[in-house]
Amino acid sequence: MASTGIGAPKSQHVGRIFLRAAVTLLMVASLNFILFRIIPGDPAALLLGGARTSVTAEQMEAQRQNWGLDRPLFPDQVVDYLSASLHGDFGYSFKFRGRHVSDLILERLPATVALVGLAQFIAILCGVMLGLYAGWRRGGAVDHIVTGASLALYSTPSFWLGMLLVVIFSTALGWLPGYGAYSPGAISGSLDWLIDYLRHLALPVTAVTLGLIGQYVVVARAAMSDVVTEDYMVTARAKGLNRGQMLMRHAFRNAMLPVVTLITLNLGYVVAGAITVEAVFAWPGIGGLTVEALNARDYPVLQGIFLLLGASIVVANLVTDLAYGILDPRVRQ
Amino acid sequence: MGFLRKFLGYGGAQLGLLCLVFFLGLAAVPNAVVGPLETAGTASGDFLAPPQSQHLLGTDEVGRDVLNLVVHGARISLTIALLATVISLVVGTTIGMTAGYYGGRVDVWLMRLTDFFFVMPSFVLALVITPVFLQVMGRGGEILGFRPSLFVIIVVIGMTSWAFGTRIVRSQTLSLKERTFVDRARVAGSSNFSIMIRHILPNLVPQIAANGALVVAGAIYVETSLSFLGLGDPLQPSWGTLLSLAQRAGAASAGAWWYLGAPGLCVIAVSLSFVLIGNALDDTFNPRHRVIP
Amino acid sequence: MIDCSQSGVPLLEVDGLSVDYGLKGVSLRAIDGVSFALGAGQAVALVGESGSGKTTTAMAIAGLLSPNARVGSGEVRYRGNRLPIDDDAAMRPHRWSETSVIFQGAMNALNPVHRVIKQIAEPCMLKLGMSCGEATARARELLELVGIPADRGAAYPHELSGGMRQRVMIAMALACRPSIVIGDEPTTALDVITQAQILKLLGELRSQLNLALILITHDLSVVAECCDHVMIMYSGRIVEDGTVAEIFAKPNHPYTRLLIESIPNPASGKRIIRPIPGDPPNLMNRPSGCAFHRRCPSAMAVCATEVPSLDTFGLGRVACHLHQSLTQEDKVAAHA
Repeated sequence: MASTGIGAPKSQHVGRIFLRAAVTLLMVASLNFILFRIIPGDPAALLLGGARTSVTAEQMEAQRQNWGLDRPLFPDQVVDYLSASLHGDFGYSFKFRGRHVSDLILERLPATVALVGLAQFIAILCGVMLGLYAGWRRGGAVDHIVTGASLALYSTPSFWLGMLLVVIFSTALGWLPGYGAYSPGAISGSLDWLIDYLRHLALPVTAVTLGLIGQYVVVARAAMSDVVTEDYMVTARAKGLNRGQMLMRHAFRNAMLPVVTLITLNLGYVVAGAITVEAVFAWPGIGGLTVEALNARDYPVLQGIFLLLGASIVVANLVTDLAYGILDPRVRQ
Repeated sequence: MGFLRKFLGYGGAQLGLLCLVFFLGLAAVPNAVVGPLETAGTASGDFLAPPQSQHLLGTDEVGRDVLNLVVHGARISLTIALLATVISLVVGTTIGMTAGYYGGRVDVWLMRLTDFFFVMPSFVLALVITPVFLQVMGRGGEILGFRPSLFVIIVVIGMTSWAFGTRIVRSQTLSLKERTFVDRARVAGSSNFSIMIRHILPNLVPQIAANGALVVAGAIYVETSLSFLGLGDPLQPSWGTLLSLAQRAGAASAGAWWYLGAPGLCVIAVSLSFVLIGNALDDTFNPRHRVIP
Repeated sequence: MIDCSQSGVPLLEVDGLSVDYGLKGVSLRAIDGVSFALGAGQAVALVGESGSGKTTTAMAIAGLLSPNARVGSGEVRYRGNRLPIDDDAAMRPHRWSETSVIFQGAMNALNPVHRVIKQIAEPCMLKLGMSCGEATARARELLELVGIPADRGAAYPHELSGGMRQRVMIAMALACRPSIVIGDEPTTALDVITQAQILKLLGELRSQLNLALILITHDLSVVAECCDHVMIMYSGRIVEDGTVAEIFAKPNHPYTRLLIESIPNPASGKRIIRPIPGDPPNLMNRPSGCAFHRRCPSAMAVCATEVPSLDTFGLGRVACHLHQSLTQEDKVAAHA
């Protein structure tokens, strides 16, 4: 059905969303630039792999020219830095000498995507369903149990859950591996390799999922408890709809509106959970790389990771804003 | 004090307060409870010994008493979380009140800044800012009576977690400044500053308090995670630092559940207390149930 | 008051209905012994202040009592059959097919995320078993019936004006061809001109479709437009009931009189609105005897102790000690 007069405001709305995302991303890169200049030492040496590396004066000079470090700080250097950032160029790692930061990050990315993607999917699916149900049956036995457990999980660091899981399922029971992603000697690509990988994935995914599920339950429950008191739910009841029809046709979509927003607002928990859990399990992803970079004070790698995290968060917010515009006809105006 | 009775009427508030008083007591006088903080030099037990009569919570990998470490950890963790919250609330309230009260361009620019901190999680910002500042400040000496690593982590968490409070304060200020008592004060010749401090701020206390409790819970989460990644101070171990030490000592694969269990449960208990108190405050002042940020 | 339909049974009978609300262990009586009957095609207004029980009465008839409400005594009969108004599931077939509601504040009563045509078509599909296409066609007819171009059905509630939204509510209420429509303050949120248009529309639809209409309002001035009977409620009881013409011409209960006097009337040149002295009744602490006696200008000693019964008086009914003695005399006179 074509409706009149909402086309123009909608494109404006989408434009604003993209502009905001771009501004945020620019601020992330600028923060990176500022931090990079605060660190004591010659930026050229840092770019070449830290002060510990032995480099000749010619190399330093070449690097300076290459990066424009001999030119004025503003605007030349800022512009250069930002454009290099946009191209994914963060120089070389201190710790892994001579390796490009972007290569290191790309190498580690798939493991993290597998871990976080799977955990997010399970946590959102189960958490939102449980929360919506608890809010729908507010005050019932299920509500009390689910809410109590969620608040406890909400307050629990994911990595601690991970350590606990290792103690129970790996050390005490010996059921699942608690370290790394592969057993030594596994042949990549075979079915055994896949099963081995999934067995290694089981405990980290459980830890991240449990760490996230509590907040999704809390958020979804609150959203649903608000919806059930709305006037349009009385209308739905007056229309003779049964409980299931009221839930599916009128409550669900309205309750999902705040849930969609709040899920992205809690992204900090996802990042913190994933990075620390990877550290517990020595999972070969971005989290593991972060810990290595922190220990070695490997700033170029840290900055690359920061920009990656920033960009992911900005994209997540972008997707949410666009999805919200589709879900809620009111924001299109 | 009708609101106090209502607040204390919530079971969650009672539980949270009780738990909090207990931990604040420990944090206030750790030496009286378990003696001075043990070091590798003064360690009194075997390595990674399970709980026993002398060491109720067992020992760590260098023979220190875990109970001793955990009680001293309470002092450090709570200090970091509470001071970071104070910074966050001061910054958040100032920016929110200024933006809401003055409006116009001031509002637009301050809210643009707030939006950035609203979108970027405190943990992610702290993860990249903290190591840089630790490097700049060095690990030696003292700043305002704190070791630099503690000082940096307090300030960084405080400066990155204020955006949610700012939004709440701004929207409240927007409605408060239209009220007649503000007009009356303006007619009576009060300055903008005095109107904000004397007339608007007191009316914001409920919202700031409820938000503050949740900021503490968030600060504990961020501090624990950062310390676990090795950004804490090993000489003044918070609960997160203890968990980091336990991880490095291989406590999980050694089955030393007491070593990682004790600090973890403390983190959960304190964080949950603040969440329960925050929710109860919110229910008291603002009967519509709101979501935890 | 009611002329019975051919079968001899009125469409709707409310018989001695009392409803209590449980609130933190305390039970509050919201309506107390309400009785009246309504014939097909009749329109009656339930008038009273907030807390008078008019909305509880209407919600009980529609089977929409909240979970903490309990039917204390009495019953509601529809075409002679008792309605299970305290059983949520058993009331479902009755709702909307027989009794529908036009809620106040259509902005909140309409679901914000669905197009209005979908919301009108929904009961046609669920209650009448129509296909999606049939239901949409029916919804378009209904929109035209209430004076909205059918193409506007593609709009969302927030894209319509207040008056349009209320028209959508009316179209929705008519979807399953009910015999009773309850209007719960249907014009409260609207400006005076829109209010008049909506009331006119309701009056027209009522005669066109032979609807029985129950109009809930606190505002006596909207009653004359589309109702033939008025029932005045005070503190959970009906205090007076009669035809619109009688009540306005000769109010018998002191409360009714004060209500009528408090209507601003620009035509009479009176600029001063006379408010009713005292506070509206508090359900937690209902006065003994006649609940109105503390605010009543004609209160007598008996008013503080005895609850006046709702007796036939003239062509209507009134619950007031002032008239009970008269009623006795009338009866005596009739006997003589």
